[in-house]
Amino acid sequence: MSLYENKEPRMPLERVAIPENKHFKLRNKYHPLLNNHNPKGNLLSAIFGYVSLFGTTLLVLALTYQGLPALLEVLGAAKNSFWYNLVYGLLGPVLMFLFVAVVALINILMLRKYLAKVQNRYGPLHHGPAGVLQTVFDALKLVSKEDFSPGMVEETIFTLAPVIVFVSAFIMIAVMPFAPGWVFSNVDSGALFIIAAGTLGGYGVLLAGWSMNNKYGLMGGLRAAAQLVSYEVPLSIALLSVVVYNGSMNLTDIVQAQSTVWNVFPLFIPFVIYLIAGLAEIKMTPFDLPEAESELVAGFNTEYGGMRFGFFFVAEFAELYLLPAILAIFFLGGWHAPSIPIPYIGELVIHTTAPNPANASSILGLLQTMFAPGGIGQNLQYAFWSLLKAAAGVYFYMWIRATLPRFRDDQLMELCWKGLIPLSMIGLLLAAVSRLYPAVGQILSYVTAIPLLLFIVSRAFGLKLPSPKKELA
Amino acid sequence: MTAVLNPTALETVEGRTDEMLINLGPQHPATHGVLKVVLGVDGERVTRAIPHIGFLHRNHEKLEEVRTYSMCIPYTDRMDYVSGMQNELPLCLAVEDMLGIEVPERSKYIRTILFELSRIASHLVWIGTYMLDLGAITPFLYAFRDRELILDIIEKTAGARLLPNYFTFGGVRRDHHPAMLEDILEFLKFFETKLPEYEALTIDAPVFQARTVGVGVLDPQVALNHGVTGPNLRGSGIPWDLRKDEPYDAYPFVDFEVCVELGCDAYSRSRARFREFYESIKIIRQAIAQYPKVGPTLPKLPRLKPVAGVERYRAVEISRGQLGVYLISDGTEKPFRAKHRSPSFCTLQALQDMFVGSKFSDAIAILGSIDIVLGEVDR
Repeated sequence: MSLYENKEPRMPLERVAIPENKHFKLRNKYHPLLNNHNPKGNLLSAIFGYVSLFGTTLLVLALTYQGLPALLEVLGAAKNSFWYNLVYGLLGPVLMFLFVAVVALINILMLRKYLAKVQNRYGPLHHGPAGVLQTVFDALKLVSKEDFSPGMVEETIFTLAPVIVFVSAFIMIAVMPFAPGWVFSNVDSGALFIIAAGTLGGYGVLLAGWSMNNKYGLMGGLRAAAQLVSYEVPLSIALLSVVVYNGSMNLTDIVQAQSTVWNVFPLFIPFVIYLIAGLAEIKMTPFDLPEAESELVAGFNTEYGGMRFGFFFVAEFAELYLLPAILAIFFLGGWHAPSIPIPYIGELVIHTTAPNPANASSILGLLQTMFAPGGIGQNLQYAFWSLLKAAAGVYFYMWIRATLPRFRDDQLMELCWKGLIPLSMIGLLLAAVSRLYPAVGQILSYVTAIPLLLFIVSRAFGLKLPSPKKELA
Repeated sequence: MTAVLNPTALETVEGRTDEMLINLGPQHPATHGVLKVVLGVDGERVTRAIPHIGFLHRNHEKLEEVRTYSMCIPYTDRMDYVSGMQNELPLCLAVEDMLGIEVPERSKYIRTILFELSRIASHLVWIGTYMLDLGAITPFLYAFRDRELILDIIEKTAGARLLPNYFTFGGVRRDHHPAMLEDILEFLKFFETKLPEYEALTIDAPVFQARTVGVGVLDPQVALNHGVTGPNLRGSGIPWDLRKDEPYDAYPFVDFEVCVELGCDAYSRSRARFREFYESIKIIRQAIAQYPKVGPTLPKLPRLKPVAGVERYRAVEISRGQLGVYLISDGTEKPFRAKHRSPSFCTLQALQDMFVGSKFSDAIAILGSIDIVLGEVDR
């Protein structure tokens, strides 16, 4: 541009070579990059987090599914008798609530630490060693706050909404198997139940947004309703593909069918669709429009405070955990270990000592019964794999949350109706083909899956593909 | 353009099924301070937008008129508090012109270097807050991590981080920290490795492009009519940059490009700002290479009492556009009239043209893309 031709410098230039100072460091006392990032505290909190996460949840699961029934049988209530069903039906959910609470509390802590690590921060640091008690204090603070509702709200619905949201997330556990036999109700329509329970949560959010008489809340509620209703469709079709492929709606059967090959390989398209639609279902970035804090202040939970908000919060993190858990059941082989043969530790106990009926009452005998195939020891190992897969899913979702901005509402709908739903139909078709002709179906699945994966990664994360990039400006 | 309607009364607009008025601000996470925009929304579509300003009015102009010239400088810091150091310059230039003070070469270079460093810091704040508006939380923390290093450099030299009060009539208040130039070079080396990271998270990210391309189109003629300047104007394709057009300090001696983008939308404005990072780095490196090692930083100053009737308007290109000061002297040591021409105030006038017809989510994306600072809008 002729307007900006370089002007000749007016003064004689004397270039000064500035010596390189090797010893100079950007001095910032609190800079996490340049400072030692408190590695001891991080390690401590990580060890505490993972050990307590897996230890406590395994303990609760074992108590629920083996301890309580065994106790009831010792007390004289035969399995499936009236008293057994009554006591187990009342106490089991309480234990499961404990499970969800523990999972939510420890997950929130670990995810805050993880997010902090991604973002060059410390994360929770002050309550307990390396901040491990942060979420406990958060929960105590929420519980101890006043149970308050603003004057202009529709009181009944306003109170009911968080309960609906929480319950809809919580009841999914009823049909979820963590290990062989470790399931509350081994119903034959488990997949249908999961879809129905997930849909119920949308009502809670919509009612919350409507009842609070707040414009931002209303917009959040409507956005949530539109989003959840739309994304139910591909989500359900993805689960339906698994049902078609495995020929059962019973979740235990679905997991059993994956003992050799996990469903993710023959059913890759439904797997990816479930991953994406699941993000929308738990209202997380890039689909967090209903509670977009920079647009709608807090969306559907603007007017909630104290434990009323706490219910939304716990439900959000419970869903964040349960969705990957369902993903693991349907696609990642549930409780089955990865195909790398990992020896069952219990066999060591069984094989080193010959079973002896005389030993039945001794500690050795107890160990032998515990670690026998089908006993509590093996079930614990199975449950560990279920929990690990769910935890991996949670971290995957959190990684996306740390990276991506959010979509606009019309783009969200476009992705669902023009992208995911037609794709999920193809996935369903391929699942049916795989069911009839396994070899053809698998080849078709791989052929479609690889371009799909490349496309998704390139669209979401801007991976440079070989094709020339379109110039935008 | 929609006619200005009474923002307090809900009127039926022809052809609209139902219009809801929403107060976007003054307490809203996305308004970058205390801006209030009354939005009429029909579903998710914005039908009208009326910005209400003045919540942060602190009467700077009148305060400056009852104070001596040198007492005015700290007030200018507090206008655009995100790039405080840049705000001092137009006042200094205007008074220097009125009194005929010759600025030493060394001070010119110090000013230029710190001016561009402040621009990097300010644009970093923009990246962070804009990505927060769009829903990504991580770039905010990255940006503030790097901005912290710039503030450290400024603190070591000027003594304060945000409101340094460092530039003065005839140069800079005191000599810089002996290691300042090395610190800056070290920072630039660090920052250049981080720039591709920012680009991958923002302007190269597909979701970011989906949210910004074609959003908030600011017609070049409309922009000129409203007096929009800075990256917002350059994002609309008009190559107007006071560093080139009315060069001051050491800008005539350095070589850089005016970052013009032709898209006129939020994405172009973002790209214009991103390219300015590279230009600022280029300017700083050149200025450091040309920097005269010896020499005074302040000349012998005359009495700060311009002749009666002298008036002067000087403007500089700060991070947000053209910041000008208009001073009239009445022969005393206090200005008879001090008027600030602030870029964000003018940019905000074009808000309605960009808002109307867009989606509610787009409104937030537009408001973030024009990078306003309310301290400077309201003064």
